[in-house]
Amino acid sequence: MPPQLQPYVQQGLDVVNQTIPLEGYLIVAAIMFAIGAWGALIRRNAVVVFMCIELMINAVNLTLVGFSDYLPGADGAGAGYAVLVIAVAAAEVAVGLAIVLAVYRSRKTVNVDEINLMKW
Amino acid sequence: MTSVGQQLIIAAIPVLPALVFVVLALFGRYLGESAQYVAIFGVATSLVFSAFSLYFVIRAQTPIDFAVNWIDLGPGGSFPMGIYVDGLAAVMLVVVCFVSLMIQLYSGAFMQDDSRFAWYYAVLNLFTASMLGLVVAPSFIELYVFWELVGLCSYLLIGHWFEKPSAAKAAQKAFIVTRIGDAALFVGIIMFWREAGTTSFQGITEAAQAGFIGGSLFTTAVILVFVGAIGKSAQFPLHVWLPDAMEGPTPVSALIHAATMVAAGVYLVARTYDIFVQSPAAMLVVAYIGGFTALMAATMALTKKDIKRVVAYSTVSQLGYMMLALGIGSYTAGIFHLYNHAFFKALLFLGAGSIIYAINSYNLTEMGGLRRRMPITFWTMVVAGLSLAGIFPLSGFWSKDAILAATYEQHFYVLYGMVLLTVFLTAFYIFRAIFMAFTGEPRSEGARNATESPGIMTGPMVLLALLSVVSGWVGIPALFGAPEGGFFERIVQPSALANETLALEGHEFSIALAIVSTIVALLGVGLAYLLYVREPERATSLARRFAPVYNFLDDGWYFDALYERVFVRPAMALGRATNVFDRRAIGGLVSGVGRGTGGIGERLRRLQTGGAQNYALFILLSVLVIGVIVGAQYTVLVIGLIALITLVTVAVGARL
Amino acid sequence: MIIAFAFLAGMTLVSALGVVLSRSVVHSALFMSGSFLGVAGFFVMLNAPALATLQVLIYVGAVTVVILFGIMFTQRPQVRRYRTIINRQIWPGLFVALGVGAFLAYVLTVQDWTGTEPGNGLRSVADLGNTLLGVGGAPPIFGLLFEVASVLLLVAMIAAIVVSRRRTGEGVDRGVEE
Repeated sequence: MPPQLQPYVQQGLDVVNQTIPLEGYLIVAAIMFAIGAWGALIRRNAVVVFMCIELMINAVNLTLVGFSDYLPGADGAGAGYAVLVIAVAAAEVAVGLAIVLAVYRSRKTVNVDEINLMKW
Repeated sequence: MTSVGQQLIIAAIPVLPALVFVVLALFGRYLGESAQYVAIFGVATSLVFSAFSLYFVIRAQTPIDFAVNWIDLGPGGSFPMGIYVDGLAAVMLVVVCFVSLMIQLYSGAFMQDDSRFAWYYAVLNLFTASMLGLVVAPSFIELYVFWELVGLCSYLLIGHWFEKPSAAKAAQKAFIVTRIGDAALFVGIIMFWREAGTTSFQGITEAAQAGFIGGSLFTTAVILVFVGAIGKSAQFPLHVWLPDAMEGPTPVSALIHAATMVAAGVYLVARTYDIFVQSPAAMLVVAYIGGFTALMAATMALTKKDIKRVVAYSTVSQLGYMMLALGIGSYTAGIFHLYNHAFFKALLFLGAGSIIYAINSYNLTEMGGLRRRMPITFWTMVVAGLSLAGIFPLSGFWSKDAILAATYEQHFYVLYGMVLLTVFLTAFYIFRAIFMAFTGEPRSEGARNATESPGIMTGPMVLLALLSVVSGWVGIPALFGAPEGGFFERIVQPSALANETLALEGHEFSIALAIVSTIVALLGVGLAYLLYVREPERATSLARRFAPVYNFLDDGWYFDALYERVFVRPAMALGRATNVFDRRAIGGLVSGVGRGTGGIGERLRRLQTGGAQNYALFILLSVLVIGVIVGAQYTVLVIGLIALITLVTVAVGARL
Repeated sequence: MIIAFAFLAGMTLVSALGVVLSRSVVHSALFMSGSFLGVAGFFVMLNAPALATLQVLIYVGAVTVVILFGIMFTQRPQVRRYRTIINRQIWPGLFVALGVGAFLAYVLTVQDWTGTEPGNGLRSVADLGNTLLGVGGAPPIFGLLFEVASVLLLVAMIAAIVVSRRRTGEGVDRGVEE
């Protein structure tokens, strides 16, 4: 490497190598949560709604793990919580899809709009 | 000082009929026709006790006076309930009890098949109790309590046959017209109370004497009290209720509208005489209203075809006499006439009732020839008529003559003329009625088949006829051999204070005036004889010739029409308007709340779209709103933004 | 670091959008797993490799497959128009979601995070294990939570079987329609 470029390369590396602030992860998580929420409200297919809920859960996990890494006094408890969240989410997927299948069987549809017996 | 025994006896006088009322009101249904015996027992006992009280008062020469504390709010706020019985009150007690007893005996037959027999007796006794309470009241407040009760009982009794719309209307009319008087009376009472700090008659008299109550204020208050008397005693201009009150059963008319309730007004003036005499202006008002009423009512009685209405107008007229007497200072003469009038007027009503009982009609043109068929009724009516007309030596003569003489001798010549004319008219109308009813040939089927009424009805009538002759003899002046001023004057006379204030000169009995009045009365009888026995067609032809006058008199000087136009119609219109306002505006407001809630509910219900995503949208939105509100720095801006977003979201979301 | 972060962030977020806006359900599922992978990458950057492994295994491995099964049983043909897959709440939903996201971002960044340094995360599986069991310096509550989670998984398993079993009288699933 030509020595004249050394400072620039070093600068570039410094920029590239600087630590990501905690806010970065948090904002990404927030955006992911928002997208998941939007999708859960928008889509007509019940399975897709499920997927969006999973997105939201993952955003939360990301936040938790982010805290677990950055906050000194936590002793990594955030990661532990994240594991438990993953477990619960998996359980939820199982039961939820069972329900979707049951509904599909009785009504022949997975369109959320058509399941509105509680309408006035 | 009165002993406890005496106090109890006198307190029992109004209490006994009140107890009878309670008993009959509660158990009347089970007693049925035997309710009359309970009632008669009560009144008879009260009568005996009243006689006792009269005896006590005469013997002791001082009034009986005791009271208990009812309301005591300190100085100026003390309202005791008490009993004050002097000569005047004792006489009234006896009169009221006696007449009430006669009426209750008579009613046993007259009201025999009535469906509300026991209730009739109950209210009759409540009335008696109230009247007795009114008589013994020593203060305005106590008087007013019983005054109102008496008015209530009058309403209930006039409207006893309330299935008849005319009776219901008459009862209302009586109550409302007397209410006007009552309101004035109450204002007067308040004025007195405010100035004197007490409502007892004695207290107010003393305060007035001592000058605590200013001149024009005092006169106004006294006149207001008199207006109350005008209402109850059916004087001009509040006389319109009494003729219509004849819709009630005849015994009721006899008791209430002849002898007792209407006398309450006169009694009020007499009882508060010490106050009245201190206002010469008020006295004049009393006298002239009395005199005018006497003449006016007598003219109205001339043309009536309903026998009860003739007697009703007669009552108004005679009450005018009494007011006149009180107004010019002849206290004793006025009360004397009240006492006599009670008997013969009650008898006239009972006689009319007897006729109605026999032929089932009160129309004079359907009567005739009853003289042979109902002899007892005939002769007692004649006695009563003669007494009313004031023919010597019946009772009516002595009291009427006393009034006439006093009027003349105190130089009230205009009033004397009016009253003399009234004497003529009185004799005429009462004998017109008697001749039309009893002489000639029967003019209807009912009259042809008439028989005399049962003993329990004619008994009281005979008794009252006897009294109509002799009751006046206690007041025969010295000229005829009785002690100076007669017995009556010894019992009933104004207080020393009143005598001082009035400073009247005593007068000897004047034969000349007596002869004049008797001749005038006989002229009246003669004219009636001429027109209704000798040449009946003259009467009808005269009526036709002077038709406008006839109609004017027959329609009560068009007073009813006048009042109807000026007061009743606007009041009814106001009532209707208020009713509409109440129903539409206030009712609308109330049901509007209901409908509004329903409407909001109806709209909010659209939020229940049944779609889970919809609900999720709302949940997220709410979380957002709450979070922002809790954490926001620029509150107003943010809240506005949130509101906007919320509205849009809800609007869109709810249309899913 | 930044390059990695930027790449992972882009992958995650684009995949998330793909889940929401894709007209084919299967495409949505695949986008979802892409998003999961991105998050796994984040976990690696956050010094939690064990967790990253778990993430991949469970989410990308199991959850995605289950969801694909679900899609298979409730098959819908791919549609042409967005109207068919998107309901009427699209714009209100967008506003609300944006609001929520903005709110979260605001709350998370307004805090004073000075003094935080990466590197506190658990690097070894053993540490993660200790944490999960509540021993060795981690909050002891984790022990209970661990057990509860296992019970929960059992219950969920049974519930899934019960809810989706075929009741007598119901018709046999015919599979693909239309």
